[in-house]
Amino acid sequence: MFSGIRERLQAARNRLGASIGAAAEAAQSASAEQAVPSTAAMPGKNPTLADKVKILIIERELVVSEKDVAGALDELEMTLLESDVALPVADAIIADIRTGLVGKHRRIGESVDTLVVRALKSALLKVLGTGLDLPAYIRGRERPVKILFTGVNGTGKTTTVAKIGAYLKKQGFSVVIGAGDTFRAGAIEQIGVHAERIGIKVIEHQTGADPSAVLFDTVQYALAHKTDVVLADTAGRFHTKANLMSQLDKIRRVMKPDLIVYVDEAVAGNDAVVRAAEFDRTVGADAIVLTKADMDSRGGAAISIAHTIGKPLLFLGTGQAYEDIVPFEPGAVVEELLGSGA
Amino acid sequence: MMDSLSGSLKDALKKLAGKAVVDRAAVDELVKNLQRALLSADVNVKLVMELSKAIRTRSLDEELPKNTNVREHVLRIVYQELVRLVYATADLKLEPQVILMAGLQGSGKTTTTAKIARYFQKKGMKVGVICADTFRPGAYDQLSTLCAKINVPCFGDPKATDARKIVKDGLAAIKDREVIIVDTQGRHALEPDLIQEIIDLNAITKATHRWLVIDAALGQQASEQARRFHEAIGIDGVIITKMDGTAKGGGALSAVAETKSGIVFIGAGETIENLERFDANGFISRLLGMGDLQALMEKAQEAQMAGEIDMEAMMKGHFTLRDMYKQLEALNKMGPLKQIMNMLPMGNMQLPEGVYDVTSTKMVRYRILMDSMTPKELDDPGLINSSRMQRIARGAGGTPEEVRELLKYYKMMHKTLKGLRGAGGGKLNMQRLMKRFSGMQ
Repeated sequence: MFSGIRERLQAARNRLGASIGAAAEAAQSASAEQAVPSTAAMPGKNPTLADKVKILIIERELVVSEKDVAGALDELEMTLLESDVALPVADAIIADIRTGLVGKHRRIGESVDTLVVRALKSALLKVLGTGLDLPAYIRGRERPVKILFTGVNGTGKTTTVAKIGAYLKKQGFSVVIGAGDTFRAGAIEQIGVHAERIGIKVIEHQTGADPSAVLFDTVQYALAHKTDVVLADTAGRFHTKANLMSQLDKIRRVMKPDLIVYVDEAVAGNDAVVRAAEFDRTVGADAIVLTKADMDSRGGAAISIAHTIGKPLLFLGTGQAYEDIVPFEPGAVVEELLGSGA
Repeated sequence: MMDSLSGSLKDALKKLAGKAVVDRAAVDELVKNLQRALLSADVNVKLVMELSKAIRTRSLDEELPKNTNVREHVLRIVYQELVRLVYATADLKLEPQVILMAGLQGSGKTTTTAKIARYFQKKGMKVGVICADTFRPGAYDQLSTLCAKINVPCFGDPKATDARKIVKDGLAAIKDREVIIVDTQGRHALEPDLIQEIIDLNAITKATHRWLVIDAALGQQASEQARRFHEAIGIDGVIITKMDGTAKGGGALSAVAETKSGIVFIGAGETIENLERFDANGFISRLLGMGDLQALMEKAQEAQMAGEIDMEAMMKGHFTLRDMYKQLEALNKMGPLKQIMNMLPMGNMQLPEGVYDVTSTKMVRYRILMDSMTPKELDDPGLINSSRMQRIARGAGGTPEEVRELLKYYKMMHKTLKGLRGAGGGKLNMQRLMKRFSGMQ
């Protein structure tokens, strides 16, 4: 997964390493000739002369300058953009890496690569957060744990609800699904068929019914039957539709979810940022599920959304079968993105 | 976000305003801002780079046309290059046809299928729909519910598993329908079985059109997906859905570039009526986050118009059918009449709405009608009596009613232009107008 962005990141890592390495050589040869290092090697942060002497002669260190990394960082930014990282997020990441690198004293002999990878890794980890272990979360809460799924149209909420249902069932939890999408034609049938296949009870009303009522009933059912988890599906809605957003707000008030999961697709571009922020602002979002990750090897949307609302990624949807869902572990993903040796 | 982007784009344009020669630094800044605007609208990175390269080279190399300043010159190039990206027309004929819908999961194929059915139905065509989505639970229920609302027959079987068979049966069952729309299962390009399925469906249906449905929020992936779909079945039109959100639809542009086809429809809303034909200007404005695209076009079109229409004569009231003919010809190249009228320096004068109410198909008809008029008739439309009308209609393969409609339109235009002479924004406005036009002769 995310092989696209991985290749690109590794290319960027090599380039960054190479440009810093080149600057280091230039600085070294200059210092050999003049005993005082040439200022051309480090115009970025303008360290004082004393600093330079201290660094180059006494401590034998090198300062990474802005100029050293500028070209490589520009390229990295393009890479991120091509990988669907939204523009403002890409800007933020690049700025982060730049501060992580520029002005860093590097001991000669220390691998350039280590320095670069450390900067990239910390920038990415900062963005991707810590992840969330759902089974552990459920065990630690009072039952039933109510999970509400939100998102815009066509991101795969209903399928995700079914997949998570199957996943939790396998983990030994009892689950009930609330068919809260009472708007879209065929939605109740869709979740009904899914639930039947995976053997989970569905609470449903008719098309056009109040979704809050459906989900309230689902919670009542769970209380009565001592069910562990309530998964609440909702109709897709655009964050620009105030009426639909307030409907969602009502759902939230009525069913009081423990966890609001925002579902979006991995192939979404810059808009992912806009709508995630808007959903987070109006109804809140505690975790993210990213669907259709099998369509896309770039994974930029994961980075964009995680950066924007700063909430953990719960799962990745990676196919059409019920088992095609992967718990998201940021550490592992970053490790994979940057390759070994980080 | 978008607002600040379009703001900096505008600032960059302003910097060009006072310049006498094209300033490399200012052009670079403009191009950079344009790049950012397009990138955050999800336009393909490579496409953006090509576009900005073309704009930079053309702005710096092309000679400044007479009567234009640097800003107008660069604007014209920007606009032309952008239009070149989206202006491929996707033809849509009201005749018997089979339409195959293709697209990624959750892009909105089923909803759009129903919307297109409604579109053709409103145009008076007999429409039928086949549900070939045998995978997603509830797909048939969804489509048949939507179709039932608009009384369009929907063929399908929720229990079937073979999409190929369903389509074969469906084509036989609703063969009396003029327009048949085949909704398919969502798929993406990395699923070889499903791609083979749609290749087969294309062969079985012998589809007239294969339309790719693209979610407005789709990012850089759009290019790759569109290319694969295009390789498989030869996409000849793109439909952008979910434009009612905040997504800019730049991904669809990539799809257009990959498939060398045009944008057929735009879906913006959840009800069955929310489908519009594509409007390039509106789309570009949204892409750049700039409302005043007209300003961008202004000079471009004036420059083109100069040679074609004798504005001065027109303003004096010598507006003949011949002038209108030229105008219609020019319009063909320039786009909707409203924009051209808006771009004329008429101050705040309001034109009767009817003037704009002429569709491009009508325009074509008008020209054909005028082609069968004599030169005398063109110069003096007053000559046209009912027997001449008969002759013109027969010559153009139309009806006398059409000729009458044309004359009515001519009269309206004539009156409008005459009105401009007297009224408008007063003397000052008139002077400016004349000055502007004299420069163009």
